[in-house]
Amino acid sequence: MINTNPTEKSLSIVKSAFREYYFKHSKNIEAPLRIEEREFGYMQFGSGMVRHIVFRNVGEILAVLVRDIPSDVYCSNAYYVFPSYPMQEKQWKGADLIFDIDSKDLCLSCEPTHSYFICINCGKISESKSEICLSCNTRRINRTSIPCNKCIHTLKKEVERLIDLLSGDLGIKEDAIQIYFSGNNGFHVHISDTEFHKLGSQARADIVGYLMGNSVMVESIGVRKGPEGFFIKFPKSGLAYGWRKRIACELGISQSSILKLSKMVQQKGGYDEFRTELIKTVRDLGVRIDPHVTIDIHRVFRMAGTLNSKSGLTKKRCHDLKSFDPLNDACLLGDKEIDMEIKARVKLRLKGQIFNLKKQNTRLPMYAAVYLICKGLASAN
Amino acid sequence: MYFYSSLGYLLWILSIKLGTGDLAKYPFLNEASNYIRDTHFDFEELNRPEIEHIIYRAAKKIDVEITKGIIYEELEKYEVEILTFLITLIMVKSIGLELVLKKHSLLEAIRAEKFLIEDLKREKNQQKRRLLLFKIFEDLFKFKVDIDSENHQLFKVKVTDYLERAVQFHEQEWKLINRLVHKGYVYLDADETVRLIRSELSTLIYNRVKSMTFSSLPKAIKSRVDELSIKFKPMYEVRRIYTTTDYPPCIKHALDVMAIGENLSHSGRVMLATYMLAIGKSVEEVSALFHKAPDYNEETTRYQVEHLAGSRGSRIKYSVPSCKKLLNENLCFATEKCNGIINPIQFGRNK
Ligand code: SF4
Ligand SMILES: [Zn+2]
Ligand SMILES: [Zn+2]
Repeated sequence: MINTNPTEKSLSIVKSAFREYYFKHSKNIEAPLRIEEREFGYMQFGSGMVRHIVFRNVGEILAVLVRDIPSDVYCSNAYYVFPSYPMQEKQWKGADLIFDIDSKDLCLSCEPTHSYFICINCGKISESKSEICLSCNTRRINRTSIPCNKCIHTLKKEVERLIDLLSGDLGIKEDAIQIYFSGNNGFHVHISDTEFHKLGSQARADIVGYLMGNSVMVESIGVRKGPEGFFIKFPKSGLAYGWRKRIACELGISQSSILKLSKMVQQKGGYDEFRTELIKTVRDLGVRIDPHVTIDIHRVFRMAGTLNSKSGLTKKRCHDLKSFDPLNDACLLGDKEIDMEIKARVKLRLKGQIFNLKKQNTRLPMYAAVYLICKGLASAN
Repeated sequence: MYFYSSLGYLLWILSIKLGTGDLAKYPFLNEASNYIRDTHFDFEELNRPEIEHIIYRAAKKIDVEITKGIIYEELEKYEVEILTFLITLIMVKSIGLELVLKKHSLLEAIRAEKFLIEDLKREKNQQKRRLLLFKIFEDLFKFKVDIDSENHQLFKVKVTDYLERAVQFHEQEWKLINRLVHKGYVYLDADETVRLIRSELSTLIYNRVKSMTFSSLPKAIKSRVDELSIKFKPMYEVRRIYTTTDYPPCIKHALDVMAIGENLSHSGRVMLATYMLAIGKSVEEVSALFHKAPDYNEETTRYQVEHLAGSRGSRIKYSVPSCKKLLNENLCFATEKCNGIINPIQFGRNK
């Protein structure tokens, strides 16, 4: 939860909503493949993380969910010989390839219009960014955000761009790509193609660099440093596919445009200047993913079908990304009315309902109440 | 059993598929080693006078490799090459110095690499190219390489197979983004394709030697082995100056790479040298670290280290690259102990 000290009452509302969810929606819990080779972990409300757990089937997971009502549930993307042992002794066998697209990495222009800054010390909420809390002068500030339609639209576009690269360039078949809404402000993309399981961190880092458009060399499109500044010699493998094609399109060149490319480099001011600009262009064309998530082959990752305590929404599989509406399709908590105190001006859309709230006391359906408690913007009365 | 004739018969059978010239160039192929296993040949055969010049040749080959650090390029007819290969392995095993074995394996791989690139580039017969690809990549390393259907000078390999091998290279050009990638395949030219298997090839040769067993050496070989041992022992009994100190992971990794006689990238060498100079090692000590590099050349190494130390040319003393820079160059192997530091030189300081 964003809110680090929710009131007793708020906490018990959230817990009962989560309990109800795990009772009613147990079929949403997706048992990962090769379940017995994975490590599980979960977070409990108000206490730490429990890790290195193993389950043999989805029934065992459900038993823990309804017994302990965890705030967040995780599962390793790695397969181990001994998943319950300490990290050094687990014996890594392989790991699913995963990608995380989160609105925090997208630098959206709408972000400031729906961000809040909450002081961890005194609880003061501000709508504008500041390093220091204006009421208590401390510097411990949490940021929270209520994604808008534009955020969701942009996130989906980014997911589509990622999928394009994964299938067009890396040759991953569509049925090996699973898309999930993360349960908060992003999407997770899981690759089940077993070819990729064996790859270690470094190979994954290389994939990340590829997707993000990092470390491109101008030589790969034929611009080389020479005695008179630079010269053009296209690579033997050509420019017909992948990044080379994307760059060639962007620059409007082809394998027969030696002169054109040469002029272009000259106009930019030479090899170094052209290089600097190309690096930037390619970065802008790249997909914005969180590199750490993909590179880390030992992490535990939010489990599909469980609730995200940053929002009370579900991490949910999107079978059709275009029509998927996270604020509707992943909002699965009940709608019993709750008395609430709203602590900031918020506009919000959930389950097809629009809530236009100011600082006030009001009654809200459970799903909206939990959402705002998790976001740190309201508490139960 | 008459040595030459039984060997000759087997080689003749093999040469129906691959030319005899190929077996001479690639004596590590399964075919050649099967022969050695299947014929149960008697070691004493190696004392025969007609083998003498091959023993001499094998010893010379090892000597050139170890003392000069270069490959032995001379290519003889296949009977001679296969026997030379076998005898070198026996000799390297008997010399019993790990670093000699490492270096020999690496140089043998580089040597085969040269022939292979040539063959893949020049050979007109597609059937034959395919057979070579199959025999060397797929049969030995389970690595499937295809010839591109449009451009026969290009080879396609699966992205995952590429990544697994290319991560060992630190140069930017090996990054996936600088490759032609399409529908799950990476397209490479002959040089690049072959470069990908260098370390596997050298490991293969290394393992062949490691798994060899024989009780006694034929006299003819023993005397050569003794000569070489006397010559090499002092070269490899350098003080291992780094075993006890707690170096940062990036430096440890670089030292490990050097220790097994593998190639360290240019930036890796700069890092290692500047670090060692910064902690107070002398130019001599630092130059000595590079002595095991496959491309070691005493003069240039010393020159470069002096340059970094600021005692030459520009007189600017080079500082140790920052952790950030090293991370970018794939030289960082951070562990928990690296938390909070921005330059390797700070590693382990405040404890
Ligand atoms: S963090 Fe710095 S000191 Fe540690 S391994 Fe990386 S580069 Fe070396
Ligand atoms: Zn405050
Ligand atoms: Zn928005």
